[in-house]
Amino acid sequence: MATVAVHSLTFTYPKRSRPVLDDLNVTFPSGKFSLLTGVSGGGKSTLLKLIAGLTPLPTAGSITFDDQPLAEIVPTKRAATVAMLFQEPSTQFTMDTVKNELRFALENQCVDPADIPAKITAALDFIGITDLQDRLLMQLSGGEQQKVALAIIVAMDSDVILLDEPFASIDPPTRLALLEKLVALCTKRGKTIILADHDLSNYDRWVDHLAVLDMGKLTLLSPADTQARFAAFTPDKLQLTHVTLPGELPVSLQGTQLRLGHGERELLAPQDLALFAHQATLITGPNGSGKSTLFRALVRLGKYQGRLTYDGTDIQKLPRKQYARSVGLMFQAASSQFLNVTVAEELALSRKFGNRDYFTAERVQDLLTQLNLAEHTEQIIYSLSSGQQKKLQLLCMLIMAPAVLLLDEPLKGLDFASIQVVMRILTTVQRDLHLTLIMISHQLSGLDDLITLHLALADHHLTYKGAPA
Amino acid sequence: MNPSLKLALVILIALEVSFTQVWTVNVALIIISLILMFVGHVKWKRLLWLTVVPLFFASALVWSLALQGTTTHHFLIVIFTRMFVYVYMGGLFTQTTNPLTLTRSLEQNAKLPSKFAYGFLAAFNLMPKIQAEVATIKAAALMRGQVLHVWSPQLYFKVILAAMNWSDQLAAAMTSHGFVEGAPRTHAVTVALRARDWWLCGISLILVQVGLFIGLP
Repeated sequence: MATVAVHSLTFTYPKRSRPVLDDLNVTFPSGKFSLLTGVSGGGKSTLLKLIAGLTPLPTAGSITFDDQPLAEIVPTKRAATVAMLFQEPSTQFTMDTVKNELRFALENQCVDPADIPAKITAALDFIGITDLQDRLLMQLSGGEQQKVALAIIVAMDSDVILLDEPFASIDPPTRLALLEKLVALCTKRGKTIILADHDLSNYDRWVDHLAVLDMGKLTLLSPADTQARFAAFTPDKLQLTHVTLPGELPVSLQGTQLRLGHGERELLAPQDLALFAHQATLITGPNGSGKSTLFRALVRLGKYQGRLTYDGTDIQKLPRKQYARSVGLMFQAASSQFLNVTVAEELALSRKFGNRDYFTAERVQDLLTQLNLAEHTEQIIYSLSSGQQKKLQLLCMLIMAPAVLLLDEPLKGLDFASIQVVMRILTTVQRDLHLTLIMISHQLSGLDDLITLHLALADHHLTYKGAPA
Repeated sequence: MNPSLKLALVILIALEVSFTQVWTVNVALIIISLILMFVGHVKWKRLLWLTVVPLFFASALVWSLALQGTTTHHFLIVIFTRMFVYVYMGGLFTQTTNPLTLTRSLEQNAKLPSKFAYGFLAAFNLMPKIQAEVATIKAAALMRGQVLHVWSPQLYFKVILAAMNWSDQLAAAMTSHGFVEGAPRTHAVTVALRARDWWLCGISLILVQVGLFIGLP
């Protein structure tokens, strides 16, 4: 049991003028489930990392656990006091297998070797993943990895459990299962839980006070306001009015008995799949179901079984260079796309090899202005905000104008105004250049104008949705 | 055999071989390493690689030395076999040692600070990730019309950037699972350092000394 208290905490990242957290005061009561929400970039992750001790505090003592500053807790007892579950599931492990990672964590706490096996079994049992214990961590799905990470926290018996958007890459049933385990930890074992999430569904039964973090300030809502906020929250609904089933359309990419999977885990059961030219196709499906894996296979970065053809030729037989210019991928992580240092250099590279007739210097300048990037051309890419990086990334790939452009979460992390601009640009360019766009997106609003075909991935199978053409 | 002791033995023998010129000992070491690799079920393909690559370099070296004409036949044979000793003994060590067991042994038997032991393990586990990252960067460049080669500085710039990111992530992961630099830890799995290991190491070293002594002119 531990009460976490934050006393007038101000935190500014180096080389930034505006503080992320501004004179913040809050108390997270012991044995309670606290939910933290707010816009992206609002400082949720920063606050959690500071509480976890992963980011050094500007002034020691501004965060206390039962009135004891974290710095005064013996290092080997720290993990028993506070532990954190990360947003990105795969980045939180050191060892190769589930059991070895659990051993590593318990060894760090100086647990007697004789007690380790029993503790491991108990923790795996509690989360219900005993069958995973000898599996390689890197071969588990995101949801399984989050379960393992939670099992480790259970084994370490940490008093305070911090979770930073832990369900960001997890499908709804797994999310609910994990949430129930968390509530059990809270009510049965008296753990203090602080969870950051922007998706407010399914919390109404368990959370009394919603904490809203905005512009560096934190507001704790009353129970009535909290319930009102939960009731008002509706997950984005997909609205597609122009979508029809594909009729007689020219095929661009064709999969024959295409199968995708990591090791024994099957993502896509063998099926024939046609992707149609000059259309804007949206692919939806639960997180971790294999959408990005499909894209990586389509650009020859990932393994697949079966046959994939582009304009009738096996993609493995096409020269790499030529194929890469015909089928391009806008990666989910913006940083994977960039090759240079400044915005101007990156744009120059795209214009050098891209469609210069359409993307004239004036047009590029105009697009930069629309995207609010015109002021940033001399800036180093990696110092741009994630939203700005995403917009620049899209522009760079559009200038390349490959016949087929695959877009993996192109709207991730963009604010509402940016989404409108990006979708308008995408729609215009697609119509003008007759591009084939294939898009994965969890952001479902604003897609209606562009999308003409809808592929849904469910139960290891991709099927076209919509009314007959 | 205990992994730390095995590592020490391999390094010692390699050092000795570097400073002596007895080709019979080299050949004996090659044969023993090969036999031990067979016993350890090292894959045929791996063995073939371990043979073809040094064969190329050893032949090239011997050929150029022979062209120069100032070296004796004896020295050429020594150089040729020495190359294989290095590669086969290195192969024997890496192919028959589990990295995690080596890490545990280095921490427990060789008393290496746990920071280094686990740092080594993390670097090892990072290998496949680096390979995937290089493939991604090359593909990203191709899609922009740029061909990146092994010698392109841009490739290294990006890989280093990614590696820096991973090292931060790894440090956070280790901290969040309770790892504290220099703090005492217990060991769920103990790696034994038995009398047999010491005997095996000692006898092997003596045998090499005897061989070198007899073989010296």
